[in-house]
Amino acid sequence: MRFKTQRIACWFFAAALLLLMLQIVYGFVMGFARIGLDVLHDVIPFNAARAVHTNLLVVWLLLGFMGNAYFIVPEEADRELWWPALAWVQLISFLVVGVIAVIGYHVGWWEGRKFLEIPRPLDYLVVVNILAFLANVGMTIWQGKRYTTTAIVLYFGLLAAALLYLPGMITFDNQTVDSFYRWWVVHLWVEGVWELIMGALLCYLLIKLTGVDREVVEKWLYVIVGLTFLSGILGTGHHYYYIGTPRYWLMIGGIFSALEPLAFLGMAMYALAMARKGGRRHPNTAALNWTLGSAIMSFVGAGFLGMAHTLPQVNMYTHGTLVTAMHGHMAFWGAYAMINLAMIAYAMPVLTGRKLWDNVPATYGFWLSNIGMIAMTGAFAVAGITQVNLERRLGLDFLAVQREIEVHFVGLLLAASLFLLGILFFVWNFWSFGLPTDEAAASDVRRVEEEAGAGVVRPATA
Amino acid sequence: MLSKGQARAFFLGGTAIFTGIFLVLTVDSMSRVPQQTNADQLTPQVKAGKRIWEEKNCMGCHTLFGEGAYYAPELTRVVERRGVPWLRVFLANPQAMFPGQRRMVQYDFTPQQIDDVVAFLAWCGKVDLNGFPAKPPLRDALAAASVPAPGAAGATPPGRPLPEVFVTGSCLGCHRLQGQGGAAGAALGTPALDDVYRRKSRDELVGWIQDPQAIKPGTAMPKLVGVAITAAQVEEIADYLVGLDPAKAAPGSAGQPRL
Repeated sequence: MRFKTQRIACWFFAAALLLLMLQIVYGFVMGFARIGLDVLHDVIPFNAARAVHTNLLVVWLLLGFMGNAYFIVPEEADRELWWPALAWVQLISFLVVGVIAVIGYHVGWWEGRKFLEIPRPLDYLVVVNILAFLANVGMTIWQGKRYTTTAIVLYFGLLAAALLYLPGMITFDNQTVDSFYRWWVVHLWVEGVWELIMGALLCYLLIKLTGVDREVVEKWLYVIVGLTFLSGILGTGHHYYYIGTPRYWLMIGGIFSALEPLAFLGMAMYALAMARKGGRRHPNTAALNWTLGSAIMSFVGAGFLGMAHTLPQVNMYTHGTLVTAMHGHMAFWGAYAMINLAMIAYAMPVLTGRKLWDNVPATYGFWLSNIGMIAMTGAFAVAGITQVNLERRLGLDFLAVQREIEVHFVGLLLAASLFLLGILFFVWNFWSFGLPTDEAAASDVRRVEEEAGAGVVRPATA
Repeated sequence: MLSKGQARAFFLGGTAIFTGIFLVLTVDSMSRVPQQTNADQLTPQVKAGKRIWEEKNCMGCHTLFGEGAYYAPELTRVVERRGVPWLRVFLANPQAMFPGQRRMVQYDFTPQQIDDVVAFLAWCGKVDLNGFPAKPPLRDALAAASVPAPGAAGATPPGRPLPEVFVTGSCLGCHRLQGQGGAAGAALGTPALDDVYRRKSRDELVGWIQDPQAIKPGTAMPKLVGVAITAAQVEEIADYLVGLDPAKAAPGSAGQPRL
């Protein structure tokens, strides 16, 4: 680590991983309810478990992004963080808001709008928190010694994510209008500005891990985020097929959603090409695995599986079925969970000076969690396709169909156990790193990196 | 080859153009949505129903307009599918209607709240969703391939007025009788009641309606006594059903079976 204030990132990562594990627990609650074991029904009914599961996902990913920004931005701007104490206040308050929200969901304190269940008073606290974060990162970039494309794209993504949170705070009496603007937040986040964040993180990791020239990597970053917005903005239309909005969205949404995989395909090809192009390999194989894995899994989960049910003619029957859960799980895992874990795998050795990257927990963490997630996606796919055929195409009763597909949720739970095991390995490895130290700045992790030719950015582009 | 400056121009230009198009389409959509959704029918009761829908996070299990959590049924056309009396009974005690199956939270709604939720769902059911949810395309093919049950067709005896209890008690949500009801039961194989007198005696019918689970554990038939019907109405229902037997019903004594 070059700057002492980068170490705050470590605490954001710890908080993020804690919430990830809690998210998985609630996933299991829902999985068991689906095979008839809803013993927790009176304490955690399905709608509470679901709200906690999805909201914890958003919160831990955001915590991860914030940690990543606090790690990357000082290095890119070549100065200490503007106000380290503010970062601490912001971390603790964000966690407090998150915990209050989760407890609130158990007693029915929520807004009841999918993904945006956080009640209004807490919404305002989130906004204040994000403003503090953006100010801190923004001032660091502003007062920095240099402006890099990576830092600017990352900041633009974070800023746009904050702005797009606002339409979700307006309430409407008309369910259609309500839904219309709810997707401004949800869709334009995950298929828009979050991809900027992901692209910037991927770009940073590729510069560090492959040693390919920054100018080349960043040029392609622009192309990819350009493709993202070109397809993703009007791709919002795939949420407007069947909610009471004009019919022309079927055509617009259909065409632009079909283009959406291009950005992810571009991202995957770009990552693989850069990894091959980079002459000397960085010794942190775990970080490289997660980076390339993220690029590939996001293409499969978000790009390919998303496109598989995005055509209006297909979506007519898959809309509102478990097919969506199939796509959602692998998309979020590949695009946003894995890029966060890649950053953690890269940053922890730098922060602590310990080279825990080619050991058993790091390797098993990567492979078990990914195999588990692929198997979970398969279980959701079989359940979802069966549901579509029996309920939507043959017209059988909802509950009768649910009984038919119950067995696939046994498979889902087994796959999820494997996934959980992988995550536990990752967390174990994270724990083994310990806390960041001052000596880490001078440790040989940095030297290894510089000898490998990666991360040498200062002389070339200052 | 593309330079970094050109790549940046592609990103900024593309983003600006497509954001602009998106905003124009948003304005246009917002001008058309009121008509497409019958916004003039958003009565205070419908709005109150929507607030309950959100307060209870119904979307956390159900889907509406296909949006939600896939754990419980799609509700866009539920008023059309089940009928208002059935929904009133169901919302008062959801678990009674689907005994031993996936449970809905018991919300203890007041009758006013139930009416609000039903009004909201009725409004949702009339929104033009561009054809969603589609009629199951293979349902007719399936029906054509299956052999009709003996006696199911043409069993409707003529001309006896249907007591109100069959509607208020929500029987017709699942069962078909005198050419009415049966939508919710069609997929469950719920029998029509026109010829039930052939299979059950009056006492058997009373015992069955009073506690279906005790007689056939796991049946989809809910225990409705105390929920939707009174003990006296059980007798009324049984009397009516056995009275459908042409051999027993005397032409003049409507509803009273000859003993």
